[in-house]
Amino acid sequence: MTGGMITVERQTFSGRIALTVGVILLLTLPSMPFWASSGYIRWAVELSCLIAIAQMWNLLAGYGGMVSVGQQAFIGCGGYALFILAGNLGVNPFLAVPLSVVVPVVVAVPVYYLLQRLDGPYFAIGTWVVAEALRLLISNIAYVKRGSGLSLSVMAQFSPHEREIGLTILSACLLLATVGGTYVLLRSRYGLALTAMRDDPVAASSQGVDVAKMRFFVFLLSAAGTGLAGAVYFMAQLRITPSSGFDPNWSSICIFIVMVAGIGRLEGPMIGALLYFFATRFFGEYGAAYLVGLGTLTLLVALHAPGGIWSVLTGIKDWPWFPVRRILARQ
Amino acid sequence: MNWVDAFIQGLLLGGLYAQYAIGMALMFGVMRIVNIAHGDLVILLGLIGIAIAALTGAGSGLVALLLVPLGAVIGWLLQRGIPNRVVGADPLPSLIATFGLSIALQNLMLQIWSADPRSMSAASIGTMSVPVGPIYVGVLPAIIFVSAIILTAGLHGLLRHSSFGRALRATAADREAAALSGVDTKGAYALATAIAVAILGLAAVFQAARTSIAPADGGSQLLFAFEAVISGGMGSIWGAFFGVMVLGVAQVVGSRLDPGWGILLGHVVFLVVLAMRPQGLGVSVRGAA
Repeated sequence: MTGGMITVERQTFSGRIALTVGVILLLTLPSMPFWASSGYIRWAVELSCLIAIAQMWNLLAGYGGMVSVGQQAFIGCGGYALFILAGNLGVNPFLAVPLSVVVPVVVAVPVYYLLQRLDGPYFAIGTWVVAEALRLLISNIAYVKRGSGLSLSVMAQFSPHEREIGLTILSACLLLATVGGTYVLLRSRYGLALTAMRDDPVAASSQGVDVAKMRFFVFLLSAAGTGLAGAVYFMAQLRITPSSGFDPNWSSICIFIVMVAGIGRLEGPMIGALLYFFATRFFGEYGAAYLVGLGTLTLLVALHAPGGIWSVLTGIKDWPWFPVRRILARQ
Repeated sequence: MNWVDAFIQGLLLGGLYAQYAIGMALMFGVMRIVNIAHGDLVILLGLIGIAIAALTGAGSGLVALLLVPLGAVIGWLLQRGIPNRVVGADPLPSLIATFGLSIALQNLMLQIWSADPRSMSAASIGTMSVPVGPIYVGVLPAIIFVSAIILTAGLHGLLRHSSFGRALRATAADREAAALSGVDTKGAYALATAIAVAILGLAAVFQAARTSIAPADGGSQLLFAFEAVISGGMGSIWGAFFGVMVLGVAQVVGSRLDPGWGILLGHVVFLVVLAMRPQGLGVSVRGAA
């Protein structure tokens, strides 16, 4: 019997490097206020939010098989929850950010039960209806100053340096929760179920995966992560309006980042977010023409290269940053 | 009497929405093809129509005669270019592809025509109204409403009674079996998309003549048409017609209650229908002989 001769490899050399680099980056982020200019800190916070939002969309669409074009619903809910908790109710703003996650999750429960009646593409447009309904609802509520939105004036009690420290710590926690959390989730037994669902939901369900329950779970997780990113993003902005919080453009960003860089892989959203972030810095001044380019690129990738950039890269060399596979190796 | 007026105006608004909802009922409900750029195509055709009218001085009737065949060509090209490639078990690629198309189209229109809302003059018809009992009904909205009924009945008849309709329903029910029976499935899909977008040509003229259009309006038109198709019952053309009537009345009644509530009440009614009656309010003809 050679049973003892086989071991299961779960980590790779490239994975260990990526993990080390990741931990160093996460620890560096909160130190930025002590050495970097505030311009770079703003960039780092924004980039963290983009990565988090894209990773949550990737979890939802890539693994859960639920394409959403209404992620702005959760960004807006997270943002508004922060402004109401900190501004209207007087909770410490830095404590209010993690507390804000409750609102998008509570909203996500009935939304999921309603929308799961629609399959595939109809689900996607349903999420957009929900996001629009929430935007219009918030625009009609006097308590949150209707369409003119809220300002986070309570942040004035902190010095700019204190705010930067708070924001960078929150950004690091956001990345740890969304990227790290997804990594841990995918390496667990639920990860096996999710990967099976990604490849073929019918086959996964025949192997005993409770697909409906996993989808609900993924929908809630994605709402929580997206809402947290919304709270961090709008804390940095200090202002929120219904049309900025519930902007459909958030979904365009998610779709662009994940589709172009590689859906259903953990590495995709990180590469895509970097690409989008710097492309917008360089070409954003062309406004509409730049977005025509992004839209066309998304169209072409969906039709001709559904695996995106990451699948091209792994075709050259298989160097996973976040290995989630179980490889059998002989000792 | 105010509420009777709101109800009538709601039906007339529904007549406008019907022009793009029945095209979507054909694509979404019967053929199960998703096109996120549906609303943007209405806007594109409308802006082209306004440009033609401004350049040549053509009246809105003549513009409609030009836009309908143009819509058919765009629809045919679109179907040949995008969804036909990716129609299959996985709807995700065509969803994402048309989403990309929608973003590209919206910004292209923004680049060409700027963000200003534009409209088309409909000569004297645009402002005429006739008294019906104690309320006034605009002549143009009434024409749009009648046109919606004719289009719905025509499309329903085409699906039920023509050989093209049979081929299309067969393709939608089982693509491979239809192909085995000698149906040109790609042709059927392309023709159906051509018809759906050709109707959008008419929708574009009516929309531009009755209200105004701007490059960013496509998204909300997609949502209105989608809500009508789902709440009316998938696969039914008359169901979609019924769906837009419900939506139109909800929006007008909502805006009479409070100007900010109109569109919101439309969305809420849709969500309530989804919660209470997910199979839709109408009756499905899909698969019926």
